[in-house]
Amino acid sequence: MGVNKQLKEENIYKPLPVSIVRNLPQIKDHRLFQLKIENGTTWETFSHQPGQFIEVSIFGKGEAPISISSPPTRLDTLEICVRKVGILTNALFELGKGSTFYIRGPYGRGFPIDILKGHKLLLVAGGLGLAPLRSLLLYALDKRGEFDDIILMYGTNNPDNVLFKYELLSFFDRKDIKYLYSVDKDEEGIWKQYVGVVTGLFDQTELSPDDTYAVMCGPPVMYRFVIQKLLSLGFAKDHIYVSLERMMKCGVGKCGHCAIGDKYCCTDGPVFSYPEIESIKEAI
Amino acid sequence: MKSIDKKDVIDMLKDWTNEYHVLCPNKKINDDCIFDGFEQDHFTLDYGKLSFCLKSAFFPQSEIIFEVEDNQYHEVISSEKTILFGIRACDMMGILQSSSFMSRDYGDVYYSAKDDATIKVVMACPGPQNETCFCTTTNSGPFAEKGFDLQFFDMGEEFLVEVGSKKGKELISGELFTDIDSGDAKGKIAAFKKKASEAIPKVDEIKSVMEMLKNGVVEDEEWEEFGQKCIACGGCAFVCPTCTCFNVYDLARDGSGMRVRGWDTCLYGGFTREASMHNPRPTQGSRLKRRYEHKLKDYNEQDLQGGLCTCVGCGRCSDVCPVDIGILNLVLAISRDYKSG
Ligand SMILES: Cc1cc2nc3c(=O)[nH]c(=O)nc-3n(C[C@H](O)[C@H](O)[C@H](O)COP(=O)(O)OP(=O)(O)OC[C@H]3O[C@@H](n4cnc5c(N)ncnc54)[C@H](O)[C@@H]3O)c2cc1C
Ligand code: SF4
Ligand code: FES
Repeated sequence: MGVNKQLKEENIYKPLPVSIVRNLPQIKDHRLFQLKIENGTTWETFSHQPGQFIEVSIFGKGEAPISISSPPTRLDTLEICVRKVGILTNALFELGKGSTFYIRGPYGRGFPIDILKGHKLLLVAGGLGLAPLRSLLLYALDKRGEFDDIILMYGTNNPDNVLFKYELLSFFDRKDIKYLYSVDKDEEGIWKQYVGVVTGLFDQTELSPDDTYAVMCGPPVMYRFVIQKLLSLGFAKDHIYVSLERMMKCGVGKCGHCAIGDKYCCTDGPVFSYPEIESIKEAI
Repeated sequence: MKSIDKKDVIDMLKDWTNEYHVLCPNKKINDDCIFDGFEQDHFTLDYGKLSFCLKSAFFPQSEIIFEVEDNQYHEVISSEKTILFGIRACDMMGILQSSSFMSRDYGDVYYSAKDDATIKVVMACPGPQNETCFCTTTNSGPFAEKGFDLQFFDMGEEFLVEVGSKKGKELISGELFTDIDSGDAKGKIAAFKKKASEAIPKVDEIKSVMEMLKNGVVEDEEWEEFGQKCIACGGCAFVCPTCTCFNVYDLARDGSGMRVRGWDTCLYGGFTREASMHNPRPTQGSRLKRRYEHKLKDYNEQDLQGGLCTCVGCGRCSDVCPVDIGILNLVLAISRDYKSG
């Protein structure tokens, strides 16, 4: 993992054309895009790791970092789940099936699969933070034998904003994954599970901190609370991993935008172990 | 060792222009010295410290990186055989550090194409060029230890020329240069270096503040006090030899146009603002903290190239800051405020 040295001699800023195979509306302003590489090569050669991201490029609208949502175990398409928020993402939503745009990557250091293997996995996701965690989740489910228990905690602000709804529902039929879903508010009273912030889910289940690795991704406010909770439950600091978001321009450690102390979120992260960033005040 | 008479320097530069684009100090309007293409009538050796460092030779203020036609990206890598004549040792250290940063892990073709095509000729300083020079503190001057192709030492009527590379050696093979006794020249250069180094005041506060930052004793309030004054002009970053942050933007019409990159700086509020409007560095104090901690604490050891930190002691941020922040006032204030602790 880490930086892909192969790219060293090439122009790291040159994007590669992909086309949209399917464009699946998720919730309001969120879509899942399934992509294929235009020049006929496969995603195998792209060789991404769960937790890595790409730079999406639409000429005239700029570039934006977007997590890869699909696992390297499912390579027929590459999936990204995008929220429409600004210039580039609006332009992306204008594109239909068969349309072309450009990407660069895969970038960054993903989840430490080799460390996680053989252990219990606790995935804590808030909102769109599920996008990068989903690549790890599906990876672990596809290689189910390589992991011990898998627990997913997923919180959204209300029942309308649950991403990957059908996928999450399908876990109801599985015995080999434990899922806990929460919504911050349920004004219509339709939510059958936990109502409250995602940290409340910790009181709903027994965890075994010694052999569990916790990984999390969500909105900025979530990290501190979840980490506090984990530490109070007895999780060792090096059993906690966070995937962080920063404003990024280049994705390859040059433009400086994503710096966090002496680290660059785009190349040293976006996944960090808690000890790596614990002493950096601006990190979380 | 070789030497050249000062009066022959113009002819030397003229010769070099046959094969190279020669950038050197020219005295222009208002007697300002500007580092640009050699002009016989404007060239000057009396230029002190140029207000801009030379990073734009490798890293232009704005630069086209792709020309895009019907959504096809064509890379535009511009480089020209160039000689930088008369750069200072601090600038040389800035180039070494920036080149290390730009080439490690992933290489940046735009930067390295220009870096590779450029010959660096350092003019060793006989002493400080103004009151903000402190290169002896940061191990980056007043003469260069490495990185240069040639280094000139001013001996009054003539320059002694130290060779740093094969390319440099070829440049001085012409008849304008005289062979001189090496032992003798080395002695003169050693004396020049000693005198020059002694003439430059040490700023011990740099080291003590580096230590304080490392130990985390400097509180955010201290930075916020500077933040109150900072007008976020970005001047300190744009004149800094080791500031290489950039933004990328498209100039487009109907799917054609260009992708451009241009200087950017962590002093600007939008630099870290995410699309959600969340900003991990929400105050001007936090942004100043970032800039100066990047110089004094949060650098990569690998990029130091023999320097103390990624501040090269050129003092330009102190020269340009309209509200008198700059590294010198900053370290003086911090070390004063945290002296006992
Ligand atoms: C590692 C990582 C993974 C991510 N994964 C995902 C994901 O899976 N799905 C997802 O939806 N999002 C993801 N994001 C967030 C995503 O990158 C942003 O939502 C995206 O950049 C928004 O782009 P936009 O052009 O639509 O938004 P805009 O708000 O238009 O901003 C885009 C750019 O415009 C510029 N800009 C904005 N405002 C101004 C201004 N006032 N002045 C000057 N310039 C301005 C900035 O340079 C900014 O980068 C991720 C981010 C990171 C860092
Ligand atoms: S030069 Fe001074 S005022 Fe301008 S951004 Fe730098 S510190 Fe702030
Ligand atoms: S995004 Fe440019 S340095 Fe990380």
